[in-house]
Amino acid sequence: MKKIIAILLAGMMTATAFAGCSGSSESEAAGETSGDSGSSTEVSVDGSFPDVSYFGDEDNITLKVWAPDDAVSLFKEQCQTFIDHYSEKTISIEVVAQTEATAATQMLNDAEAAADVFCFPSDQLNKLVDAGVISPVAFTDAVTENNSEETVSAGTLNDTLYGYPETNDNGYYLVYDTSVVSGEQAETLEGVLQACEDAGKKFIMNAGDGYYACTFAFTGGVTVDGLEDDGITQKFADYDEDEAVATLQAFAQLFQDYKSTFQSLDISNIASGFDSGTCGAGIDGSWNATTDQEALGDNFGASKLPTINVNGEDKQLISMFGYKYVGVNGSTDFAAASQILAYYLTSEECQQQRAEELGWGPSNKVVQESSVVTDSVVLSAVNAQAANACVQVNISSTFWDPMGNLGNKLIADDCDPTDTETMKKLLEDTIANVRDEG
Amino acid sequence: MIKSYKLKRHIANFFCYLFLIVMGVIWISPFVYLVMHSFRGEGMVTVDYLVPHEWTLQNYIDLFTGSGGSASLNFPRWFMNTFIVACFSCVISTISVLMVSYAFSRLRFKSRKKFMNIGMILGMFPGFMTMIAIYYLLKAMGLTQTLVALVICYSAGAGLGFQISKGFFDTIPRALDEAATIDGATKNQIFWKIILPMSKPIIVYTVLTSFIGPWTDFILAKIIMGDNRDNYTVAIGLQLMLDNDFKNTYYKQFLAGSVVVAVPITILFLAMQRYYVEGVTAGGVKG
Repeated sequence: MKKIIAILLAGMMTATAFAGCSGSSESEAAGETSGDSGSSTEVSVDGSFPDVSYFGDEDNITLKVWAPDDAVSLFKEQCQTFIDHYSEKTISIEVVAQTEATAATQMLNDAEAAADVFCFPSDQLNKLVDAGVISPVAFTDAVTENNSEETVSAGTLNDTLYGYPETNDNGYYLVYDTSVVSGEQAETLEGVLQACEDAGKKFIMNAGDGYYACTFAFTGGVTVDGLEDDGITQKFADYDEDEAVATLQAFAQLFQDYKSTFQSLDISNIASGFDSGTCGAGIDGSWNATTDQEALGDNFGASKLPTINVNGEDKQLISMFGYKYVGVNGSTDFAAASQILAYYLTSEECQQQRAEELGWGPSNKVVQESSVVTDSVVLSAVNAQAANACVQVNISSTFWDPMGNLGNKLIADDCDPTDTETMKKLLEDTIANVRDEG
Repeated sequence: MIKSYKLKRHIANFFCYLFLIVMGVIWISPFVYLVMHSFRGEGMVTVDYLVPHEWTLQNYIDLFTGSGGSASLNFPRWFMNTFIVACFSCVISTISVLMVSYAFSRLRFKSRKKFMNIGMILGMFPGFMTMIAIYYLLKAMGLTQTLVALVICYSAGAGLGFQISKGFFDTIPRALDEAATIDGATKNQIFWKIILPMSKPIIVYTVLTSFIGPWTDFILAKIIMGDNRDNYTVAIGLQLMLDNDFKNTYYKQFLAGSVVVAVPITILFLAMQRYYVEGVTAGGVKG
């Protein structure tokens, strides 16, 4: 009797296991086919809403949208407008808070449980496309026409546009307390550091994080140029090694001269430092603009990154700069509806609202010209910096840590700015490590 | 002679105590820092001095009233989630651990040794090794992003941790079992009425470890809950507060939250400590 029960139990367990397998593979297949139907048709659109016929026979639509926390309530309103506009269809949309920085990771964990429409920064595009979890944009022509060229080209991989451009403001800039640093002083790194030192305040930059530290290499002309043909190795543009080394030396010299003023800390300390009056200026991300503004009030100052004096010549600091996109999940059950929603969420109307309410820099050409953008100190600073930046796309995953290491070495106590040989070796090692040849 | 011996002893003691005091200070300093700064009123993230200038309860109030600006960061809810999961998995795993231990200690059946070895080997693999498999199994059952899934994860494999309680049961004389059998007790009755009342320390130990588990586990909860912030536990919730998007506004609440998490565990420990000591000193056989 016991044996029979045991066999039955074992049988049941195996059955459940198989049931599980078949269930998931079926839905995967369904996801793929619907994904194809979404991408194969090319539709041109006028205005913010594509024609209702594009939905095809999709109805009783339920969608999940991932939006960053501060944007959730606005996204909810925009989704409601979307639902109201297509009143002939039954649509319900759930907006869930999801940090953009981990959007790709969450997508790769389990695309089926992930959102149908999600926001992500440009550097995650490779990952998403490689894993096949993102659908190509259905309204390529309209999107290309409406959005600035850089955002479209950075969202394109292998000649296919994958992301609906959402913002063009994902970078960092100089933020300062105008009572400490004057507008003129903010133009040079030497001026900013001197002003902070005179006032006994700190200058904060996260020099140990590759995202910010790559500025040191970029400024010296060591800029990235996509990936090698293998798709994983970072390619660098041709550069003049002597110049790059001289630039690194100039940075190291400054950090040593202003040892007590220059602090390498997490950027969250900048707003915190403004609030407590210990920080005079810092290199902060555009996403922290509101917090910085609140902390500084009327003394809020923002500008593009300053210049640095290398052998008598003022060189502009070159930064990493990216865009944000709205993507459509490749395994969504409602491919057409997701495409339409993504299109609407990145339309002129929605970008305008986000620029007004959240201060997000738009990728839409019309909104870029609007007063909300041109009058904003932060967005002007970010845009000015964008002209002096490497686009954060096609960055290899081995890029960040060696760059962070480079920054840490430059600010280290035992760093000797006059030692050209060591600096040269440091640069060579960094490049070799980024290219994983070390 | 005696004097110098005394002196020697004093000097030795002095250095021993000095060493212990230094170690104690080092060990306790993170906790002191955490507690102090959870009451800090000024600043947003870290400050570069030790003692806060302004003392306030505001961080704790904000933590429980959710006035940090983001509706999806709901600490009271996360706290309740964790508490519920902890209670259920505590009861289930305690019972299953004790039953498995009893069976291995008292019953004799075929391949008992083999089962014990298998259990031991399986128990050596870290739980998160199988997390992907666990995730897809739970998904097939439609349980992902639910608290039930967490209870299952934390308590299903608990029986594998039988070694310590089995060792304890082995020290209880079999003469007691035999006496009870003569009086007509079944194996089941012996377990509930004879063995368990004598095993308070080991019950307390099992309850404590299985209750603490859900409060500290991060990996499984993170992968199971995905984007469903309503069902987060305190561990992933607190980590989320340190995310770049929230750090500036939530850092001090994070400190307060870390202190609050210690409360239920401490209460449970204080409440059970009495039995723990009593059980250890009481010994097994009484007359």
